[in-house]
Amino acid sequence: MKYFNFLIVLISFSSVFSQPNCEAYKYFGDTLKYEACKKAEQIKNHYQFSKKFQKILDESILIDSTFAYAYREKSVAYLKSGDFITWKKLMDKAVKFDSKDNLGYRGWCRYQFFRDYEGAIKDLEKLDNLVDYDIGHSINGTYHLNIAKGLCYKGIGEKEKAIKIIENQIKLNEKEDFVGAYDYLHLGALYLETERFEKAINVFKKQSQTNELAENQYYLALTFLKLNKPDKYKSCLEKATELYIGGRKMSDPYSNPMDKVYLKNIEDELRTAYNNDYK
Amino acid sequence: MKKSFLAITLLFLFFFSCQTEKKINKKKEYLRWVGDIEQNKQIDELEYKVCNGDDKILQYFNVGKGPTYFGEKSRILNTFKTNYKSIADKKENGLIRIRFIVNCKGKAGRFRVLQSDYDYQEKQFDKEIVSQLLNITKGIENWEVLKINQVPLDYYTYLIFKITDGQLTEILP
Repeated sequence: MKYFNFLIVLISFSSVFSQPNCEAYKYFGDTLKYEACKKAEQIKNHYQFSKKFQKILDESILIDSTFAYAYREKSVAYLKSGDFITWKKLMDKAVKFDSKDNLGYRGWCRYQFFRDYEGAIKDLEKLDNLVDYDIGHSINGTYHLNIAKGLCYKGIGEKEKAIKIIENQIKLNEKEDFVGAYDYLHLGALYLETERFEKAINVFKKQSQTNELAENQYYLALTFLKLNKPDKYKSCLEKATELYIGGRKMSDPYSNPMDKVYLKNIEDELRTAYNNDYK
Repeated sequence: MKKSFLAITLLFLFFFSCQTEKKINKKKEYLRWVGDIEQNKQIDELEYKVCNGDDKILQYFNVGKGPTYFGEKSRILNTFKTNYKSIADKKENGLIRIRFIVNCKGKAGRFRVLQSDYDYQEKQFDKEIVSQLLNITKGIENWEVLKINQVPLDYYTYLIFKITDGQLTEILP
């Protein structure tokens, strides 16, 4: 029972998304949507996986079957439990009834939960064509959606396109002083994979200054190995181990981020370094 | 004769319509939480038990540590890399999710499979692919024990396998 009480505090009961402004529907004379919206407000204080939460939203949809917010809220529990079939059906409805608000979110989830690179690219590019404003960030705030799009291009093997997109977005992020937690690291990994070693070192250093991570030191080590700098290779691996054990590593509450490495990867590399007698 | 035939037909139709309605209603019924897996004595191992009761089974992310695996994900990746034998077939594309419970002792049970193509439409993969993935998952003896306030939990978790041309290309989350 003790843990269950703790859980009540831990689980976020409120909605993942910002509540829609019901009064706005009323103001514009859409009474049906206003009523559906008022009904949907009742999900507050209910856990998104719960029967009650889902039933309230079903009632909201019964009032107005075109109320996108209700479909989107309903979809979250299916997303988090990995039920991609039900999730997609619900999110398709949300996108159908409000594309501008939901394409970016659906695209991001396709990437984050299902590594559906092509589907995510389609959604994000469609959104970009639909609006004349910045397409914004992923729901968890980790990435600008253009960075996520770049990662998707990497996922389908189009590394040059990925580099271009991520370079451009980082420049914009730097102007805003709002660089993402893993932006430099991803770009550095791409530079390393395409053998632009000096550029890779440059961005890995930037990552160190903004948000040092075990993965950053790991990829930096591999870059130094390519440049035949064994001392730096080994010392970066040792630093990566320390950082990893200290919890300074890439993480996400629902997935393992792209370019993440595991302790075993670092230890195996370190073993190789010792076996090859790098000092 | 005609009357009795009509009566039987009507009775049959009435019975059939009740069954259909029942089926629809049943489909609409929610369990405690989305994705809850009720024990099915016909497919689940009878000796498999959760520790704290079905109404206290949580989700893996409720403890806020992200997806965690005993021996980290690299161990899971290695297990499938070693044991999964690809079936080269251009028709075998999509996602397979295996969802299950990990109990307070780190043991897994009540496995359920969901399959779709890359357009998220339900489909059936080659049985050989599914049975391999299921058997390898069932063969993993230890899963991470998650705790809140030092109390070990029962929790739901899942693995999603991306299959392209019969090859296992990614394991999530």
